[in-house]
Amino acid sequence: MRSEKSAESHVVCLVDDDPLVLNSLGNLLASDGIAARCFDKAETFLAHIQVHRVELVVLDIRMVGMTGLEVQAHLSSICCQTRVIIITGSERPDDERNAMQAGAIAFFTKPFDDEQFLAAVHGALAQAKASQELPPEAIVGRPKVP
Amino acid sequence: MSERDGIGKGHREKEEPFYAGQGRILEMIAASAPLADILTRIVLLMEAQTDGLRCSILLLSNDGKHVRHGAAPNLPEAYVKAVDGLPIGPRVGSCGTSMYLRKQVVTTDVLTDPLWSDYRDLAKSCGLRACWSTPIISSHGDVLGSFAMYRQEPRGPNPEETRLTEAATHIASIAIERQQGHSMLREREARISLAAESADLAFWVLYPEQNTAWMSEKGRAMYGFTPHELLTRESFVSRIHPDEPAAVQAAFEQARASQQTFEIEHRIVLPYGKTRWVITRGRYLWDEHGNVLEIICVTIDLSAQKQSDLQLQVQREELARLSRIALMGEMTASLGHELNQPLAAIANNAAAARRFFDRGQIDPAILKELLADITAASHRAGEVINGIRGMARKGKSTRSRLNLNDVIRDTLRLVRSDILIRETAVVTDFDSLLPDVEAAPVQIQQVLLNLIMNALDAVEALPPAERRIIISTRSLKGKSAEVSVRDFGTGLPADRAEKVFDHFFSTKAEGMGMGLTIARSIVEAHAGTLGAEDAEAGGALFFFHLPAAQRLPINKAA
Repeated sequence: MRSEKSAESHVVCLVDDDPLVLNSLGNLLASDGIAARCFDKAETFLAHIQVHRVELVVLDIRMVGMTGLEVQAHLSSICCQTRVIIITGSERPDDERNAMQAGAIAFFTKPFDDEQFLAAVHGALAQAKASQELPPEAIVGRPKVP
Repeated sequence: MSERDGIGKGHREKEEPFYAGQGRILEMIAASAPLADILTRIVLLMEAQTDGLRCSILLLSNDGKHVRHGAAPNLPEAYVKAVDGLPIGPRVGSCGTSMYLRKQVVTTDVLTDPLWSDYRDLAKSCGLRACWSTPIISSHGDVLGSFAMYRQEPRGPNPEETRLTEAATHIASIAIERQQGHSMLREREARISLAAESADLAFWVLYPEQNTAWMSEKGRAMYGFTPHELLTRESFVSRIHPDEPAAVQAAFEQARASQQTFEIEHRIVLPYGKTRWVITRGRYLWDEHGNVLEIICVTIDLSAQKQSDLQLQVQREELARLSRIALMGEMTASLGHELNQPLAAIANNAAAARRFFDRGQIDPAILKELLADITAASHRAGEVINGIRGMARKGKSTRSRLNLNDVIRDTLRLVRSDILIRETAVVTDFDSLLPDVEAAPVQIQQVLLNLIMNALDAVEALPPAERRIIISTRSLKGKSAEVSVRDFGTGLPADRAEKVFDHFFSTKAEGMGMGLTIARSIVEAHAGTLGAEDAEAGGALFFFHLPAAQRLPINKAA
């Protein structure tokens, strides 16, 4: 269930270096009918996005090697329109502000509420479909962190 | 005995009683009968061998200058009293003179002998005419006293009387010498006792051959013996704590084999159940033939000291625990992260299962997989909790054999997230031949956490690319294991390197300043050292050594 359907459906990507969390995110999206592609390394995701269209990426902050925030910065540096949801297991004071300022559409601290998380995912996908050309600021409607 | 074999020849009928009498006297000596009784028996035995013979034994006083009454059962009381206390000298009758000259003095007639000029009337009034006096000489050649034969007729000793004299002086010298030995021993014991008592020590002497023992009053109180209880080896063995007779026995055996002073710390259990911690030092004394004469021991009661040591240890453990808890407060990122990860996985998987149900798509294979993931995540959360519990646990931490490389790996796992969050590179350089150490794992982990957290703080101000910490281990000739944590921060406070170990010294705004102090006390409690210095190319280097564990386990020694 984790991935490997058609390349078309992999418009959502998950990046977390903790396999338990990564799998659980994939399961959660699958239970809601969303097929997501899972990456346990930021670098493999960045390679993937160069050749595939990705509407939404869920990025964990603390990862060995590149952090989620660095991935986010890299995406905006290459003018990528992919929407970003940032998740973290250990929030530092400035993490959320930095993520939102850099254009993330939502920020969640693990463990988080599944409804809110899925709402954020669906919202991002709907907005992506409806108005590709709108700037990211216009579609921010981030849910409250539990 | 060859000379005395001749005694009584021609007097066959007297032979048996003489030898039997000698035997009885020797028995009395062996049984430590009172000296006066023994000397009286000697005199009576000699007198019984010849008609008309009266004998006496005089002793030399402790100052070596006066005669003291020994035994004279058949001499007039007035004479005995008059002689007692006379000074020895060149003209003091036969006895005083023989002791003075250390040789036999034969006075055939007291009425004419100039030696007797001062005592002539006394002797005459008591009906004593001839007096032959022989000094009693100890085995070391010292004068102990004199043996005298008196007759009512003026004459010298016949050969039999000469032989009797030899026998009498010989037996008397044994008796006196032995008694003096005893009194010297008693005196020595009394002196040592006094010293021991004032120094709060128990002093005791074990005589293995006789299996008897003497113990100072204090010692008897310490061991719970009554003041007059007869002591043997078994008395002492019965007091040794049930866990320790083998160790105590081994200490004695080793002292015997090595002829060295031994020392052993052990417990004794008193009859009413009280346990004392004591330390016993002792050594064996040998005679010239290599036989054990006695074992001299001194025992010190350590109970009070042990008690305060234990209290101190409890306080130290508690302080260390509080410090660990404070340390965990600093590791918030790691602890939070380590728990949040599995909790997130559990929450996500459970939510996914619920949604699959809601949508009516219940694939048993998927459900099974979700549940397996939930179980795995729960176990991981449990391990984290156990780790925290271990750090926060109260009470005594037990020591075990550890390899510090492993402990460092475990510790780094514990603070993985803090290291990640602080974007610091931690490099390890392990010596694969690092000797094992004997240590309490939680405490060593605490020391490492302290050093690592401090190092993370030290590099925080640097740009992420320069935030580096090197943790290395090194075997110091196999005798101890060294761990060093090197950071690339600003180094130790100038001119106050040692200050970082002081109580309440902290360079951090929120620091209590206890961490390094406690870390050092932990390392020192493990017989190690913890130090700090400025590293060569900048930054600080903290290091500690722990002594290598005593023996390699058999499987590793091969």
